[in-house]
Amino acid sequence: MPGLGTSFGRGGATTAQQDLARSDCILIEGSSMAEAHPVGFRWVMKAKENGATIIHVDPRFSRTSALADIWVPIRAGSDIAFLGGIIRHVLENDLCFREYVVHYTNASCILRPEFRDSDEGATGYFSGWNEEKRAYNHESWLYEGEGLSYPKRDLSLQDARCVYQTLKRHFSRYTPEMVEQVCGIPPELFQKVADALTSASGPEKTAAICYAVGWTHHSKGVQVIRTAAILQLLLGNIGRPGGGIMALRGHASIQGSTDIPTLYDILPGYLSMPRAGKDEETLQDYLEKHTNRTGLWQQFPAYFVSLLKAYYGVRATSSNDFGYAWVPKITGDHSYFSFLYKMLDGEMEGMFLMGQNPAVGAQNARLERKALSRLKWLVVRDMVEIESAAFWYDSPEIERGELKTEEIETEVFFFPAAGHAEKEGAFTNTQRLLQWREKAVDPPGDCRSESWFIHRLALRLIEKAKASGEPNDEPLRALDWWYPETKDGEPEMEAVLAEINGWKTTPEVNATGSVFTHDRDGQLHHGPQIDEYEELKDDGTTASGCWIYCGVYASDGVNKALARQSNDYLGHGWGFAWPSDRRIIYNRASAAPNGKPWSERKKLVWWSAENKQWTGQDVVDFKKDKSPDYRPDGHARGLEALPGDAPFILHEDGLGWLYIPEGLQDGPLPTHYEPLESPVNNKLYERDTNPVENWFTREENRFAPPGDTRFPFVLTTYRLTEHHTAGGMSRFLPHLAELQPEMFVEISPEAAVGLGIKNTDYVCIVTLRGAIEVRALVSRRMRPLQLNGKTVHQVAIPFHWGSAGPIRGDVANDLMAISGEPNVTIMETKALVCNVVPGRRPRGKEFLPWLDSFAPQSGPAVLHPEQPPLGAPSGGKLESGHGQHGKSA
Amino acid sequence: MIGEGTQSTNQRKHSFAQDHVEVGFFTDPSVCIGCKACEVACKEWNEVPDDGFTWTGNSYDNTGHLGASTWRHVLFVEQDRTKGNQIAGPMSLGNDSEDPFRWIFLSDVCKHCENAGCLEACPTGSIVRTEVGSVLVQNDVCNGCGYCVVACPFGVIDRRPEPLPDAGGAFKCTFCYDRQKSGLTPACAKVCPTESIVFGRLDDLRARGAARVRTLQGQGYDDAQLYDPQETSVGGIHAFFLLLGEAEAYGLPPRPQIPTIYLKSSWAAAVVTAIGAIAAVGAAFSFFA
Amino acid sequence: MSADRNFEERLESWRKEAKHGGAVSGRGVNVAGGPIPRRPGYYGEAVVRPPVWTWEIPLYFFAGGAAGMAPLFACAGLFLGLTDLARAALWITAAGAIISPILLIMDLGRPRLFLNMLRVFKYQSPMSVGAWILAMFGTFAVPACIAFELHLHHVLSGSLDTFVAVVAEVLTFGAAYWGLGLATYTGVLIGATAIPAWFLHHVLLPIHFGTAGLGCAAAILELLGFQIRPLFFLGMFVATIETLLWLWLEFDKHGPADRALHAGGSGWLIRSGEILSGPLPIIFRLTNLVPLAAVSFLLGALLSRFGWIAAGRVSGKDPEAVFASQG
Ligand SMILES: Nc1nc2c(c(=O)[nH]1)N[C@H]1C(S)=C(S)[C@@H](COP(=O)(O)OP(=O)(O)OC[C@H]3O[C@@H](n4cnc5c(=O)[nH]c(N)nc54)[C@H](O)[C@@H]3O)O[C@H]1N2
Ligand SMILES: Nc1nc2c(c(=O)[nH]1)N[C@H]1C(S)=C(S)[C@@H](COP(=O)(O)OP(=O)(O)OC[C@H]3O[C@@H](n4cnc5c(=O)[nH]c(N)nc54)[C@H](O)[C@@H]3O)O[C@H]1N2
Ligand code: SF4
Ligand code: SF4
Ligand code: SF4
Ligand code: SF4
Ligand code: SF4
Ligand SMILES: [Mo]
Repeated sequence: MPGLGTSFGRGGATTAQQDLARSDCILIEGSSMAEAHPVGFRWVMKAKENGATIIHVDPRFSRTSALADIWVPIRAGSDIAFLGGIIRHVLENDLCFREYVVHYTNASCILRPEFRDSDEGATGYFSGWNEEKRAYNHESWLYEGEGLSYPKRDLSLQDARCVYQTLKRHFSRYTPEMVEQVCGIPPELFQKVADALTSASGPEKTAAICYAVGWTHHSKGVQVIRTAAILQLLLGNIGRPGGGIMALRGHASIQGSTDIPTLYDILPGYLSMPRAGKDEETLQDYLEKHTNRTGLWQQFPAYFVSLLKAYYGVRATSSNDFGYAWVPKITGDHSYFSFLYKMLDGEMEGMFLMGQNPAVGAQNARLERKALSRLKWLVVRDMVEIESAAFWYDSPEIERGELKTEEIETEVFFFPAAGHAEKEGAFTNTQRLLQWREKAVDPPGDCRSESWFIHRLALRLIEKAKASGEPNDEPLRALDWWYPETKDGEPEMEAVLAEINGWKTTPEVNATGSVFTHDRDGQLHHGPQIDEYEELKDDGTTASGCWIYCGVYASDGVNKALARQSNDYLGHGWGFAWPSDRRIIYNRASAAPNGKPWSERKKLVWWSAENKQWTGQDVVDFKKDKSPDYRPDGHARGLEALPGDAPFILHEDGLGWLYIPEGLQDGPLPTHYEPLESPVNNKLYERDTNPVENWFTREENRFAPPGDTRFPFVLTTYRLTEHHTAGGMSRFLPHLAELQPEMFVEISPEAAVGLGIKNTDYVCIVTLRGAIEVRALVSRRMRPLQLNGKTVHQVAIPFHWGSAGPIRGDVANDLMAISGEPNVTIMETKALVCNVVPGRRPRGKEFLPWLDSFAPQSGPAVLHPEQPPLGAPSGGKLESGHGQHGKSA
Repeated sequence: MIGEGTQSTNQRKHSFAQDHVEVGFFTDPSVCIGCKACEVACKEWNEVPDDGFTWTGNSYDNTGHLGASTWRHVLFVEQDRTKGNQIAGPMSLGNDSEDPFRWIFLSDVCKHCENAGCLEACPTGSIVRTEVGSVLVQNDVCNGCGYCVVACPFGVIDRRPEPLPDAGGAFKCTFCYDRQKSGLTPACAKVCPTESIVFGRLDDLRARGAARVRTLQGQGYDDAQLYDPQETSVGGIHAFFLLLGEAEAYGLPPRPQIPTIYLKSSWAAAVVTAIGAIAAVGAAFSFFA
Repeated sequence: MSADRNFEERLESWRKEAKHGGAVSGRGVNVAGGPIPRRPGYYGEAVVRPPVWTWEIPLYFFAGGAAGMAPLFACAGLFLGLTDLARAALWITAAGAIISPILLIMDLGRPRLFLNMLRVFKYQSPMSVGAWILAMFGTFAVPACIAFELHLHHVLSGSLDTFVAVVAEVLTFGAAYWGLGLATYTGVLIGATAIPAWFLHHVLLPIHFGTAGLGCAAAILELLGFQIRPLFFLGMFVATIETLLWLWLEFDKHGPADRALHAGGSGWLIRSGEILSGPLPIIFRLTNLVPLAAVSFLLGALLSRFGWIAAGRVSGKDPEAVFASQG
């Protein structure tokens, strides 16, 4: 996430799950770790066994809460207010880890006089707001001094314009009373959490924070994570054992799919995707824009050119800008939701769907299924016939007569896919760990792996491009599609890994340190493997498919992702953690500025004066021989420009950023905004919602205004341990299906009594987008909250059901709205409003009129006042390029 | 304990079967996360069929109880009490609004009783005691008489109904006898992420269980106790549990008895009846003929 | 249950409170499953497994009881030279000896493996003991009947015929011996289980089943035309015992532990069975309605067997029964 990326430098969890066992306090918020990450949760239990305090902040009393020492019920979508309250507590009572904060963070950096905080006048807007474009100009957010590399600093933290003082002012109104009014958390309970966290801070102690999509699926998800980052920096918990922020990722390789992205706006290794337009027209323009003067990103050109060399091989030369012109340029928002609308409007003809089930998993799923029905062709590769492949003959819309099979023109090609045990490859898991997976069994029947499919497809496309001679097809012809094949016609997956690691491009006969030296045609293809990303060059002599993975398949010829002999508590010797097998990143911060461990109990890496190098329990995330007292001279560039006590080496100043001068669309400091749909107005600011939010305004994507009496309940969604996401991998398996066979809603006894329903009764959940039928699971695990004297009831639904497979249920996402958080275009699935209507929903044609009576589906509607009207710019980016800051979903 | 990795008794290879060592399970709900991995692993390894897709509304438990096609069962107990020193939201802050709440998970299984009702009852000799002290149903011998079903004081074993595969026979946990024979740990213990299920030597486990109860009590879990009815006729169980609170809430009989304890008086009544019958017939025909 | 009514009242007041205030204050709203009465134990789930036996088993108990006691009358007939009586009794014995195993096998989950019952003998298992008893009973009963018929029709002649007569007598004694076991072991069988309603009455059951078996055999003979004084008095005797057993059962109540015997459908089945085989036959006999008394007794015995199995099913499903039956 850019939340972590902008704060620390890299968009990945800062620590390893095993290391949680060394924590003194673990705050799990925005995740139900025990339910969604049960195996990793063992380390939380280990910490508990060792005496740590476990805190879970969640709207539901979940299986995670059941094991926590403290459960704090919170109103969905109010986490910034809660964490902000703790930050205020830390700042007001001087509880931060002062030495860490002064030396390792940008607390001392001085802001420009023209900077205006969202807190001033409680408007909720920062300086630079452009109402027309619904976006910020970020100029005024920068520091005083020489850019980001050499900001003006006041190490006494007294300057009124320094980050520390700004922070103090910014959060001054986030008092316990305010927390109570916004989040529904009583002050006594708030105090317990604040005490537990602050007492686990300092040289002897550390606290960790774990989160997942309970934080990210919000209209301000990045800023929630930013709030946690600020807190952890203030408490001195980053880069230290038992500390850190554990971003719990989703699918087995979600981290991998952002490192080597399936996203439209970054390239492997968090390199920004080139954009169409003047300032990125040539390679030089592009590199100039993205290369930092100081810090690790000074090497940007080496990473990027090496990537182009991996793409285009010998065809990428310095004379053709290494093929920069062949790289597609993005022209705007090409996120999934944008092309969903394009499908609806008939502007997009076809789609490949591989490993995704949007008819169930995507928001506003009714609209989604309609969009699929407007495609001309659709390729679905899956292991079972999921809803996204069956929508044209079996879906709620067909049942209700909204769509008719005979009128749907979409040609669906369903390809049986091989499952993960039936093919080899690597996963990159939640803690940046690459683990190689060997093939256990052959896939049944005609099932084939993705790599087989894409390899065959690529070969055919390249063949066609060669035959066509069209200039447009040049990028295809230019591809260096060299991969050797196994006897089954699969591309050699280890050869792909070798390419990702990177090599010297000049082929050498019998060179040591070379692997997969020959291409499919038997030609000598490349030179020896490289060992570290430091070796990458911008002159075309090196190639690397993803610079941060360098070292996974180095010149010793060992596939380190396949390593299976763990030899210490951090798991070194098992798999390979990027970068360079560091398990806890920024770990220079585990030692004091002078290079000595902060304490014996919390030592991790330290400076060994005899050997003149860093040593310890982890691979140091620093130049190995840079002494703590190293000071750069004013002209140094790159890493040379960072002093010996600057742990955050990706940042130009080597500091952890409490305040983000550049890189985020919605502000340098987290600000509490209400969810797009909320039962209340913003208590803290005039502005209710995130100003930069993309609402994807559309007739069929309506939002209820704040406090809409038609929708009095707060609605949130979550996962069950027993199922997996859109259900393709669990609903079809009887041993899982029987464990949670029916869709339900969790509801408090108080709300149930108010509604006159009993446990197991049928109820319907209604929002402005749709209605679904579920069973009521009444339990005191859901608590009504008191907000400012107003009782707010929350209800929670899992989202795993659909209309295919042995157990069927209504689709939770029929209720969700499409929206886009401004930095990562993620939807808000965790905080909406709804109504709960006792009884079952009508079937067939009677459904729509019934829905209309609760939630108007057409015609003029009462919309959210802050929602841009149809046709208006929906907000977002004036500026582009935050690839380096580690975007991921 | 958690985090011992391959050194944990749940993971390490062993030779208990060869060495005829009594083994057991110690199941500790204070670390169980209710993930049901044990339930699924058991079904997968032992090829136990699913037994229907019914939603119960009883917390997260849609399995209900142990049976012929459920050899592991995770209970979800919601109670209005506190768990140790847990602060469960504003309900347990200790002021007027005190309204405690807790949620406990416990993975239930065949107890592999020291004196096993099922084993004693079985007329075919299908149920036997193995070299590791577990109680095993030999599926190829069982004729489905159903007597073990009513003889188990814990309601564990059951006859599998049609139309499930292998219907008609009585089934229950095998203690993964097949795995143990080859030095592997039972599937359920192997997958348990938090080592709530601990597999190992029975004597070690009993010591460990007692220590765990002491630790928990020291940490404010006043109602922690072991459930291992050694003082009743069952004589102890090889798969024993730590309980928070009373046994009834977990569907466990508080003082289970092996059903054969009254066998003597019952047979005596039968003999008296038989003699009575002879006497009555004799008398009737002697005096009234 | 009155507890439920209380709860409903409280619920009603919460509904009102919720309607006015939007929420219900404080504690009291039930945790397990919300505003529904919490069921005892673990969501009211059964603690022990209810019996899987179906209609064959009570019928088997009935048939086995009558057949098991019948050879006693055959013996009496042989002693006193009442050949017809002996013959009829042996036919009842043989018929029961054939029907009983059929019923038993029909109820097995895997009938083809019924012989496995005779793989082992386990004295602690009433089922095993019973299987052997049944087998032995059959071994004696059917040949006894055949031998007696051979003798009656003088199929063989001379000393062979005498030999057959002796064999028939010996076999009849054997059948009577094993028959006593057959008629009573079924009570031991269900008494030695974890089903609270059964095991709490482990002494009553063999007496009840044995007595009923004896009465049934006598009643069938009466209905076959042997309305003789010994049978009349035996009929009075068993009906008296059944009446006493009924009173015993009515007084030996264990509260929730055996409420299945007293309440609900199963309770009424047992009660009607007891009345039909206890007080009613006495009245009928006193008013000289002997056939009616016999029919009433048979019906009663049959109903009560079904009643006991039904009660076992109810009791097995009732967690409170299990808890209450344990100290
Ligand atoms: N068993 C299982 N495991 C999974 C998955 C699965 O489907 N099944 N999915 C995988 C994937 S793809 C992902 S992304 C991860 C997700 O992992 P998690 O994020 O842990 O999963 P969720 O259950 O979606 O949401 C977490 C929790 O956030 C809470 N929550 C909702 N709104 C808010 C809020 O505003 N504030 C706070 N503090 N909490 C809130 C919910 O009540 C829920 O308990 O899990 C992965 N692991
Ligand atoms: N309301 C609500 N909606 C949500 C969320 C939420 O919390 N609330 N969470 C969101 C999140 S975090 C996520 S990640 C998405 C997930 O949503 P999706 O990605 O749409 O759902 P999945 O079910 O994970 O889809 C993966 C599919 O890939 C198939 N598959 C598995 N392995 C392979 C393979 O090797 N090859 C191929 N070709 N196919 C394979 C599976 O069978 C499955 O059908 O849902 C999102 N939707
Ligand atoms: S499903 Fe896989 S990744 Fe997820 S918790 Fe289980 S073992 Fe870990
Ligand atoms: S718990 Fe029941 S099934 Fe298991 S050994 Fe004991 S008596 Fe047998
Ligand atoms: S059902 Fe099978 S295992 Fe159970 S007692 Fe009968 S023969 Fe034995
Ligand atoms: S020991 Fe084996 S058979 Fe028994 S519950 Fe565990 S996995 Fe199932
Ligand atoms: S696998 Fe372990 S933690 Fe999961 S439910 Fe079973 S006993 Fe509990
Ligand atoms: Mo996800």
